[in-house]
Amino acid sequence: MNPSAAWLIPIAPMIACIVGAALAASRQAGRWAHGPTWIGLGIAAVVSLVFLATGRFDPQGSLLVDGFQWLSVAEAHFPVQLLLDPLSLTQVSVVTFVSLLVAIYSPGYMHGDPGYARYFAIFSGFVFAMTMLVLSSNLLVLYGFWELVGLCSYLLIGFWYQRPSASRAAKKAFLVNRIADGCFLMGILILWMLMSRISAQVGAAGGAGLLDFRRLTDPQTVQLLAKSYPEWLGWSMMLILIGALGKSAQLPLHVWLPDAMEGPTPVSALIHAATMVTAGVYLVCRMMPLMVMAPGVLMTAAWLGGITALLAALIALFQDDLKKVLAYSTVSQLGYMFLGLGVAAAAPELAGVAVLAAMFHLATHAFFKALLFLAAGNVMHAMNDRIDMREFSGLKKYMPKTRWLFAAGAAALAGIPLLSGFWSKDEILAVVLKAAGHRSHAESFWLLLVIGLITAFLTSLYTFRAYARTFEGDSKIPEDCHPHESTALMLVPMAVLAVGALLLGGILGPTGWLAGYLEGPHEEGHSHAAGHSYGLMVVSALVSLAGAAVAFASVKGGWKWFESTSGFPQLARQKFYIDELYDWTLVRPGLALGSAVAWFDQNVVGWLSRSMAAVPPFFGQLLRSSQTGRITDYVTVMAVGLVVLLTLALWR
Amino acid sequence: MNQPVLALSAVLFALGLFGLTTRRNVILLFLSMELMLVSVSLNFAAFAFAHQDLGGQVFVLMILTVAACEAALALALVVQLYRMRHSLDVQLWQSLGDPESIRPAPIEDSTWPREPSKENDGPSLAPAGRDPAGYLASESIDSPAAAHRG
Repeated sequence: MNPSAAWLIPIAPMIACIVGAALAASRQAGRWAHGPTWIGLGIAAVVSLVFLATGRFDPQGSLLVDGFQWLSVAEAHFPVQLLLDPLSLTQVSVVTFVSLLVAIYSPGYMHGDPGYARYFAIFSGFVFAMTMLVLSSNLLVLYGFWELVGLCSYLLIGFWYQRPSASRAAKKAFLVNRIADGCFLMGILILWMLMSRISAQVGAAGGAGLLDFRRLTDPQTVQLLAKSYPEWLGWSMMLILIGALGKSAQLPLHVWLPDAMEGPTPVSALIHAATMVTAGVYLVCRMMPLMVMAPGVLMTAAWLGGITALLAALIALFQDDLKKVLAYSTVSQLGYMFLGLGVAAAAPELAGVAVLAAMFHLATHAFFKALLFLAAGNVMHAMNDRIDMREFSGLKKYMPKTRWLFAAGAAALAGIPLLSGFWSKDEILAVVLKAAGHRSHAESFWLLLVIGLITAFLTSLYTFRAYARTFEGDSKIPEDCHPHESTALMLVPMAVLAVGALLLGGILGPTGWLAGYLEGPHEEGHSHAAGHSYGLMVVSALVSLAGAAVAFASVKGGWKWFESTSGFPQLARQKFYIDELYDWTLVRPGLALGSAVAWFDQNVVGWLSRSMAAVPPFFGQLLRSSQTGRITDYVTVMAVGLVVLLTLALWR
Repeated sequence: MNQPVLALSAVLFALGLFGLTTRRNVILLFLSMELMLVSVSLNFAAFAFAHQDLGGQVFVLMILTVAACEAALALALVVQLYRMRHSLDVQLWQSLGDPESIRPAPIEDSTWPREPSKENDGPSLAPAGRDPAGYLASESIDSPAAAHRG
């Protein structure tokens, strides 16, 4: 396929977005808004898959597709180009394919909503921004679309803006991401400064071309940067990592993601589980050649990822809201990915396998997490928008298909052997084990491996608890509900996702396809991944099966510990009071400062300007009484004035 | 020999000015103005004669022409004003003044000396004087003007 055809991937959803927005103008036409979205995303998905299957790269292992010149100032050029390489094509295929499936699911869920067309327009806009984020060849352009996906996320979280909780959640997501994005921007600017300092040595022109990924990750540039400006490079990478942590909802910036579940459920499935939140992982993968020059940064990523994975899993265990369970599960799994990426801190040669492990888990996670969310959407639909698992149980009688689809997703997430999640999670644990074999940071990585295994156990536990509480047991439903299975249009895309969730890992992982694809054909000696550590596989399989067993036992036996309102369960149920901590340390002081400034503004600045404004009226008051509006008065004054002037003129 | 003419002109001008400042009827105001114009014309004619200079007479003709045009316009305006308020009392049009300083004519106030109201008649004269009978000076009147000043 002609490389220029790659432009279809972002442009088809963009056109769908514009058409959808136009359809939103009329209620009648708006009912067909899913049409352009389906077509646009369909084109994007097909083109991505074709490129994934047949893409040919130049010897550098990538392909640059010319676009247009965004800006051109003197010598500095700011081109917008697409970079096709195994990494971006893998990611963009996952994004477009899952988006397409969720888009097919959406009409059933959003049916009859007043904002139907608006939903699909923003949905397509999101896919446009996300594909451009993934495909752009330039860090600066990536940043632009990074912000745009953030905007789409904000709009979709606050989709039901009449609900105060939704608009609050949207604002929270936006603000937390703003902190991270601010750091990200600073990191980019520092990197830009460094690149322009060494531009003469690498023979590059100025402008945004300096931030081209191919130039940034060029081995010569990397060496030069690391040698000349190690501290600056470290700071820049740290700031970029903070940007990635914010978008991917890692500790300490994870607080926005669980609240983001206020949006429509398909949005949660797509943006806040499968695609946008993985942008941070993708960014770190992209910057990996530079990141390995700052091992401290990667170590931070590993530790934050590990701790996030553990804490989020603990929180998920005690949530009663099905979507909250899945949200914290997402945070936890993203933590896994960062943990996988962090192992490159142990030794630079681990960078390849770290990226592989993270991308592998990213791809499989997109499938099973989207599936779980859509299944939760079905439950919500049947339960009149109720999602609290205490209110219903035993739904398998009413929704047998949804139950099996949820079970497939849950099994994949829990890492039941031979399913997708098992392979990808094992890959991450295997690279951590491998990193623990290196001398630097060995203790850290042993500890992280243990954390990873504990998290795997907890993952299995909370996933199956959620499954068992929702679908198994005695059937109990709220009184006003008529539970029903969802339509075929909703179930078919879920079935496709389920196939992916069950089989994708097995197809990509153990066969070495993904590894061979990502690492390129020219590195054959360096065989894929961490190799299989069979011992570890057995351990993680046992751990996940044990988690499942405990989960079923606890639900069947009705263990009271999970409902306990004191001690550790309460602590975890309240999310370790992190929101409250932020509230007391950041929000309230911020509000107090704001009120103080507002008081100053009202009373000091305001008094000053009011006093100044009082001067002209004071003088005006002296003169205004003469303006009676009576013609006779004016004539009199005129006559008197004439007399006075004439008198003066004659006496002079 | 010009003195009597100039005196007559001065008297006419003073009468016109007096009428302009005291009358309230729009037509009478207009006539007062015409009177002043005539007095000025007379002045011009007198001086033209005294200096044997035709320039002054040219001015007289000029002023008469302008006054004629003005009359046409002014009377058309008067008709329009009458249609708006059914009265030619100039105190009814004060909206260009400062809102706090306006003392609007109490239209509905029966104590205000109004023109005699007739059915289907044309305009008639409003009483002369700025504040006839001290109505506006008296605080006891329950009029919009009084309320405004209070």
